[in-house]
Amino acid sequence: MISLPSYLIISFCLFIAGLTVMIARKNIIAMLLGIELILNAAALNFAAYTRFINQNLDGHLMSLFIIVIAAAEAAVGLAIVIRFFQIKESIHIDDATELQS
Amino acid sequence: MNSTVVSYLSQAPGYGFLTSKLSEVLGFDATGIVNFLIFFIVTLVMVNIMAAIGGLGTYAERKISADLQMRQGPNRVGPFGILQFLADGVKMILKEDIIPRQADKFMFHLAPFLCLVGVFMTLAVLPFSSGLALTNLNIGVFYLLGVSSLVGVGIFLGGYSSNSKWSMLGGMRGASQIVSYEVPVTLTILSVVLMAGSLSFDVITEAQGGFPHEWFILHNPFTFIGFFVLFIGALAETNRAPFDLPEAESELVSGYHTEYSGMRFGFFALAEYIEVFVVCGVCAALFLGGYKVPFNLGTGDFLVKAFPAIEPMLAKQVGNFLQLGAFVTKTLALYYVVIWIRWTLPRLRVDHLMVLCWKYLTPIALFNLVGCAVWLYAFEGKSIWYLIFKSGAAAAGAHH
Amino acid sequence: MFLNIMFLLAAGATIGGSFLTATSKNLMHACIYLLLTLFGVSGLYATLGADFLAATQLVVYAGGVVILMLFAIMLTGGVREFVNKFGIDKVASMGTVKTYSIAGFMVVIMSFVIMKILAPIFKSYAPGELPGFSTTVEKIGTLLITDHVLAFEISSILLLGALVGAAVISRPGRTR
Repeated sequence: MISLPSYLIISFCLFIAGLTVMIARKNIIAMLLGIELILNAAALNFAAYTRFINQNLDGHLMSLFIIVIAAAEAAVGLAIVIRFFQIKESIHIDDATELQS
Repeated sequence: MNSTVVSYLSQAPGYGFLTSKLSEVLGFDATGIVNFLIFFIVTLVMVNIMAAIGGLGTYAERKISADLQMRQGPNRVGPFGILQFLADGVKMILKEDIIPRQADKFMFHLAPFLCLVGVFMTLAVLPFSSGLALTNLNIGVFYLLGVSSLVGVGIFLGGYSSNSKWSMLGGMRGASQIVSYEVPVTLTILSVVLMAGSLSFDVITEAQGGFPHEWFILHNPFTFIGFFVLFIGALAETNRAPFDLPEAESELVSGYHTEYSGMRFGFFALAEYIEVFVVCGVCAALFLGGYKVPFNLGTGDFLVKAFPAIEPMLAKQVGNFLQLGAFVTKTLALYYVVIWIRWTLPRLRVDHLMVLCWKYLTPIALFNLVGCAVWLYAFEGKSIWYLIFKSGAAAAGAHH
Repeated sequence: MFLNIMFLLAAGATIGGSFLTATSKNLMHACIYLLLTLFGVSGLYATLGADFLAATQLVVYAGGVVILMLFAIMLTGGVREFVNKFGIDKVASMGTVKTYSIAGFMVVIMSFVIMKILAPIFKSYAPGELPGFSTTVEKIGTLLITDHVLAFEISSILLLGALVGAAVISRPGRTR
């Protein structure tokens, strides 16, 4: 039962859930949650492929870098959200209409 | 793979006997079931003993604080008041379970469990002895760091879900304190990992010896400073005085667990006391030589040499008990120091807390990391004792 | 056999957590379900034999990112719901039934084509054929320093930039 297609199906479900969150939510922080789900799906894919197909550890390293970059991006994204809230007093995505200030 | 309790106990003759008997009875290979049973029983024993240690920790705290303040402490329930923690437990179970009406019920119920689960998951890798540790993960130290961050999430949720100002403030301060102090703690643990060469607790403990001069704390001046950084950071991680502003009685009306009553509060308190034990165990394992006994008594070889006819498993069991005793002694000594510090030093204000972490402990921990790396490169990992006492003799002896 | 049980538990936690994250109305609850999902993914990494990756996932995500999100929710005014009575915001121009049926039909055709192309990859391993689990910490460390040292150094600079940038951006009183 543990085989490559089962891991691919799991990462597909994660991806769909993350995509749904990103499309359907209006709260910026909720969209960041969706981004985390999508990145995790990709990292799981990489790890599954190195176990079943290609046993050098490049896939693990790729997953490691995905984790690192996702954490950095979450930090910067949340800093931007906080700054946005300080200016606009709202975290609704439709209020982010101006390109400057 | 990883050596666990099962791989240690599977060397006993009783294990093979039990497995073969069960295989005959059940018809299929019973190794998996016997392994599972051993894990289950050992886990049960360990959880119960840890809960008892958590309870006795409250008793020890009251007695030691009484001793420091020249009074008696609990002495009514049982001889010397030693059953006081049972009385407290019964009181907590019988208390009414109050939930604020506006509280977020799902997270209110979840927060104590997150704290407790986070602490109990770290018990799996604590190196009690070379054979009786529940499992020697290859990534033991890393796993412990990861799982103990669940406590921060639990504290934050407890503070938020109580829907009260004091709890909210206490929860945010507690979570930010835990997250900040993870940085110097991780850097110091990293310098020890650098010297031992592996993330597994077993390898780190085996790299030290039984005598104090073979421990990592006296290996080089950087690890000496590192021990104190780790100790201070670990005190702050467990929200223990003098860093207990999130649960301070006089400032925040007991902070993030204000609204919790009865057994839920008991879970928070139990999680804190067990986490202090775990953290003291980690400090002992990383810097004070863990379960290593002086004169190498822990391997049981001395029994085999003295009585050659003895069964090897029995000798190893005796050795393991000695190792267990060494580990628990060192951990309880550190526990006493933790309680001592709580009742001696005043509480730190929250901005002093953050300044201490980011402006003092983190640069010191980084400096320690670089210093350990330079020491490893320059002296090839020899400790300061070896350099002073042994290399002089070697140089004199090698002169020809 | 225990590997199967652990796989089932971790997969259940992952899929259940992701479903609950997508459909929960309360933002704080969604963060907690995200924590459950990340725990499940860490368990899946463990069943794949990627022990260092599982521990890194625990440390970075469960200990860092989730607390970060919770703090950001608190600092931006807490939970305010923008949902309609179905729980998820109805986005205009998401399409009609015709759109979804045509899209579904196209997905079916494309997946048949892709599966045909990828068929040689999906040979299923007999249990003895897969290599056993071994520790990956030393190997990952060696690879990071020898083969992938450029990515390693660049990601360290990226993290430094993220640290400084986040601190600078969210500083109060910065008027432009």
